[in-house]
Amino acid sequence: MTNHDKDLLGNALSKDDKELLDLYARLKALSARTDLPPVITANAKQAMVMLWNACNDLALIAEEPGCD
Amino acid sequence: MPATTTSYWNPKTETLPKDRLRALQATKLRALVERAWHTSPFHRRLFEKAKVTPEQIKTLDDIRRLPFMTREDWMANQADKPLFGDLITRPPQDAIRYHLTSGTSGRQPLRVLDSRKDWSWIADMWCYGFWGFGIRPSDTVFFAFSYGSFIGFWGAHYCCEKMGCLTLASGNMTTEQRVKQIVEMGATVVCATPTYALRMGQTAEKMGIDLKRDGKVRRVVVSGEPAGSIPAVKKMIEEMWGGKCGDTAGMTEIGTIMIFECDHQPGGPHIIEDHFIEEVLDPDTGEPVGYGERGERVVTSFGRGFIPLIRYRTKDLVCKVPHTRCTCGRTGDIYEGGILGRVDDMKLIRGTNVYPRAVEAVVREHHEVEEFQIVITRVDNVQDEITVKVELKPDQEDVWPRLQAKLGKDLADAHEGLRFNLDLCKQGELPRFELKAKRLQDLRPQY
Repeated sequence: MTNHDKDLLGNALSKDDKELLDLYARLKALSARTDLPPVITANAKQAMVMLWNACNDLALIAEEPGCD
Repeated sequence: MPATTTSYWNPKTETLPKDRLRALQATKLRALVERAWHTSPFHRRLFEKAKVTPEQIKTLDDIRRLPFMTREDWMANQADKPLFGDLITRPPQDAIRYHLTSGTSGRQPLRVLDSRKDWSWIADMWCYGFWGFGIRPSDTVFFAFSYGSFIGFWGAHYCCEKMGCLTLASGNMTTEQRVKQIVEMGATVVCATPTYALRMGQTAEKMGIDLKRDGKVRRVVVSGEPAGSIPAVKKMIEEMWGGKCGDTAGMTEIGTIMIFECDHQPGGPHIIEDHFIEEVLDPDTGEPVGYGERGERVVTSFGRGFIPLIRYRTKDLVCKVPHTRCTCGRTGDIYEGGILGRVDDMKLIRGTNVYPRAVEAVVREHHEVEEFQIVITRVDNVQDEITVKVELKPDQEDVWPRLQAKLGKDLADAHEGLRFNLDLCKQGELPRFELKAKRLQDLRPQY
C-alpha cells in the first residue's frame, strides 16, 4: 500500500521521506532473503523494523504491522 | 527542526491541524478494518454479526457502524480456542514477545503476543510521551519495575534505549537497593506507579536519605494507577523527589500508552491521536458524549499488528477536553484529570456514589497520611458502611484527633454528606504495593 509519490495525507514526499522509504524497501528485500547467514538476516530485519517505525509514524506507509 | 531542539517526538503528526488528523485517522481506520476482516476470524465474526463490511467504512464517522469489542469477548475467545483465540492475525511462532494483563481485577489474565514491528511501535508510543515530558538522550532513567510477564514499563524501557538514555533496570532489587542506586547513579528520571514512587520516597526518609538534596531526579514518570493525575498525589511525589511528576496511561490490551502529559502539564494527558482513535461514550447507551462530559473510553489502535483492537470498551472513566486547553502546540485532545477511575468501580453506599479515586484525592490532601485502605461492609445484612483505615507517618499520632475530624468532614463534603468511618492503624499494618495498588476491599455479600 506504499505510494511513492505522496504520503497518507496527500503531501508530496520530501527528499528525506524518499530516502527513508528507499532504505526501508532495500532492508525489507535484504531481510527477506533466505540464502544469507543469520547474522545478516536477523540484523537487517531489526534495522528494517526501525525504519518501518519511522515511515509508519510519518504516515508514509500503511502496511500490515504484524508482518516482519 | 534539529532533533535536539524540538519538543515533539514526531513534529509532523503531533501538530497536524485537526481536520488533517481526522483524515489520517480515517485512512488508517479503513486499512485496519480491511486487515482485520481478512486476517482475524474473531473480528470477521463480529463484523458479520453487525452486518458491516470494510467497504462501508469511508469516513471517520463510519466507525460507529463497527461493533464494540469487549474484554469478556476476548477472554471467552481465548478460553474457547486456547491459548490465544483466533483474534490474533498471525501464527504465535511469528511473535517475539508474550505478556499478560496484570490481573488486578481478579479475572483470568489476557494473553497477548507481539511481533518485532509491534514491539518497536510499542516503544515508540512511549517515546512520544517521554520526549514530550522533556526527557532527552542525556538522561539516566531508572525503572522501579519487576520486569515480569506484566507489560507495565517494558515498552518504556525499550523507548529509553531507543532514545539513547542510560537505562537502569531494577527487576529483583529491594526498595532500599533501588533508592541507593537512584542516588548512586545520579538517576535524573524515575519511573514507577504513583504508589511505589511514594513508597520509595518514604523508604528514603527512613534510610536518612533526602532525595531532593542527595539525588538528581528532575522527572518522575508515573503510570498504572488513576492516582497519577490526582494533584495532591503529584504534589507529594514532587515534594519527595524534587522533580516534576508526569502521568501516562496505557493498557496491556494495546501494549503501550495512549496518553501522556506534556511538559506544559495543562491538567491532563494528551491523546496520541495519530495512532489511536479515542471515543468517549455514555457507558449505558453507547452514544458519544461531548467535550467536558464524563464517559467511557473506547479505543481503536492502529499500531499492533498481531492483535487488532477495534472499538475496545475499556471501562475507563474519562473527560475529554479540546487540545486548545494546552499551549504546547500538540493537536491531540486531552483527558482532563487523566483516567478518572473505572466505570465499574463505582460503589453505591447508602445511595451515594463513591469512586475510590475520589476518596484517594481527599485522603492525599492530608500530608500526615502514609498509607490508607477503603473497606466496605454490610451491617446486619442491611446497612452499608464505608471505613477508611489510615496509617500515619512516623511520630504523627498526636495529630490523629484533629485529622480524624477534618478528614471525616472532607470526605463527607465530597460525597453528599455521606458518613465515613475512620480507623487509625499501627505503623506497617496496611499492605504496601509495587505495581498497581489494591486499596479497596468490598466485603459485602456478593449475590
